[in-house]
Amino acid sequence: MPKCTINGKEVEVKEGATIIEAFKTMSEDIAHYCWHPGLSIAGVCRLCMVDVEGARGPQIACNTVVKDGMVITNQSEQIKDIVRWGMDFHLINHPLDCPICDQAGECGLQEQYMKFGQYDPEMNQQKVKKRKVVDLGERVVLDSERCILCSRCVRFTDEVSKTNELGIFNRGDRSEVGTFKDKPLNNKYSINTVDICPVGALTSKDFRFRQRVWYLKNDDTVCNGCSTGCNVKAYFNEEGLFRVKPVYNEEVNGHWMCDDGRDIYKYVNKEHRLLKAKNNSGSQWSELTAGKAMQELHNSLFAEIKAAPEKTGVVLTGQYTNEEYQAVFATLKELGVTQAFHWNDTDSDDFDGLLIRGDKNPNTKGLQNAASAFGALKSVADAEAAIASGSLETVMVLAPENIAVYSNYDKTFAALSKAKNFVWFGANKTECFETTNSSNTWMIPIKSFVEKSGTFTNHAGLDQTFNYVTTVVAGALTMSEAMTLFKGETLEFDLRAKPMTSMKNNHFTLNRGEL
Amino acid sequence: MFKLSPAGEEFVKKELTRYETKRSAIIPCLFKVQEENKGWVSPEAVTYLSGLMDLPEAWVNEVLNFYTMFNKEPVGKLHVQVCCNISCCMNGARELTKHLKDTFNVKEGEVSADGNVTITRVECLGSCGTAPMMQVNDNYYENLTHESAVKTIKELM
Repeated sequence: MPKCTINGKEVEVKEGATIIEAFKTMSEDIAHYCWHPGLSIAGVCRLCMVDVEGARGPQIACNTVVKDGMVITNQSEQIKDIVRWGMDFHLINHPLDCPICDQAGECGLQEQYMKFGQYDPEMNQQKVKKRKVVDLGERVVLDSERCILCSRCVRFTDEVSKTNELGIFNRGDRSEVGTFKDKPLNNKYSINTVDICPVGALTSKDFRFRQRVWYLKNDDTVCNGCSTGCNVKAYFNEEGLFRVKPVYNEEVNGHWMCDDGRDIYKYVNKEHRLLKAKNNSGSQWSELTAGKAMQELHNSLFAEIKAAPEKTGVVLTGQYTNEEYQAVFATLKELGVTQAFHWNDTDSDDFDGLLIRGDKNPNTKGLQNAASAFGALKSVADAEAAIASGSLETVMVLAPENIAVYSNYDKTFAALSKAKNFVWFGANKTECFETTNSSNTWMIPIKSFVEKSGTFTNHAGLDQTFNYVTTVVAGALTMSEAMTLFKGETLEFDLRAKPMTSMKNNHFTLNRGEL
Repeated sequence: MFKLSPAGEEFVKKELTRYETKRSAIIPCLFKVQEENKGWVSPEAVTYLSGLMDLPEAWVNEVLNFYTMFNKEPVGKLHVQVCCNISCCMNGARELTKHLKDTFNVKEGEVSADGNVTITRVECLGSCGTAPMMQVNDNYYENLTHESAVKTIKELM
């Protein structure tokens, strides 16, 4: 393990580590664009220059391996001058359109210019005009004038997604990043190129111009798009979620996530959500609050189920947390209900070799673990048959949250709603709700994954605990809360605002009570 | 749809095994394509070559766009490249280019109406001692005068 000195502080790094990695472990500032920990080394931006004692001249930190006893600094006047000028050259052809650029606020060029830049530019040449708003397929837009040719996106398609669509064409100041004949960048991981783009050259079609990033807060959670369970950051404001980005986790997803996972936030937002509990015990729908609905269910159904538990069944999907499954199974045990069914439209072992898995439920493993103590889970087809034959009269359904991947959603709803008493726990609303076949239908709004804390067990059996991020539908319950109310108990609310774990605490908001 | 001749395909297959990486064989293969595709490399030819070499189109296109010796637009039967670097310029290469353009009534880089001539200015062709000079397709013509250049091209037509 070589030891080196960085800006006067000694540090021990892994064998073969580069100087820039040493800087990162020390949390020392170092200018860089092209280096990315998940990609190969390109050494094209020439900004991470450092002085190494005894070396011939300034070295690039990203491509110099740390040797024992190296004395490294980037605080000398010479290095600062090199970085200032290097950055000025990057800016020769970069348009100054920050006010209309979607990257503003999270732009590598802005941030690093504030830290390392030359505040008095001396370039007065005409900028080279390049192509704007190039459509690169379903998800990505390219503005090649803003590109500083760091080649991160090109290396991403070469090394990570291995689809090789992107390249740098032409040469000199006419160099442009792009695809051959503007072919669409339709690989399954394309928005990662937007994430790693240090400037506003690649932007996401889904997110661009919808929010300024400084109006969004973010917090860590776990993607519920499939059984991989990528660690993600959800970006939100009071209107709901706007996007998700991957968070580095070596064990699960590395630096990346798939494009399908980027869409999961959509089902969390209000327009897709069941906002209030609904009841139809005849021909009319009535709306009531979720808590009230659960209390009424307790009054009308709890005793009935307890008297004849064999006529009751629960249909579960792998989209809830381990804690919720425990609450559900505990309630079932108390009631004496023994019939539990597993509804999974995406039951497959498919794996694309990188991140995407065929099982589109975040917690199938968790459900199986929780159910193992309870008894075998039957398939949802068994439930449908039992309802048709009349042996099941009361059905409770823990409906999926990610409805896009449930191809038989409407059909299953129609079949299950033939039960006499039909209780549907779910976060989303769809049109099929209007056509229930049951004479006693209850719809209970449930919180989505960003609105609750809990644990998902991923495909490999890894437990990932995540925290509450934000509230989108205030009237929704978690399954644990719903079960508490169903048993006739009351909820205890913790009304104090919880500090967000991954954001910097705001001194004034946190200590408001003491001022 | 462009396709290499059997001999051309044989050439590409041989080049692919010649270097450590297949990517290194792109330049010679592109020259072969240009030779067989009337002096230029069309986007269809890039797609064809990337299929033949089993390399991404973007990689082939990167090389194609980087080098000026590959023509990205169609050229005439005779591709006249007039050297306009220092020695040639001092000996009247710019005037020569203008004279040729006027004589054959063609704009720089475009194909003449009869499809015979394309005239482009290029950087040093390494024949400074015999300036001014031009390259017509693969051959050098040196120590040119306005008359001798026009005569040479007309003879080649």
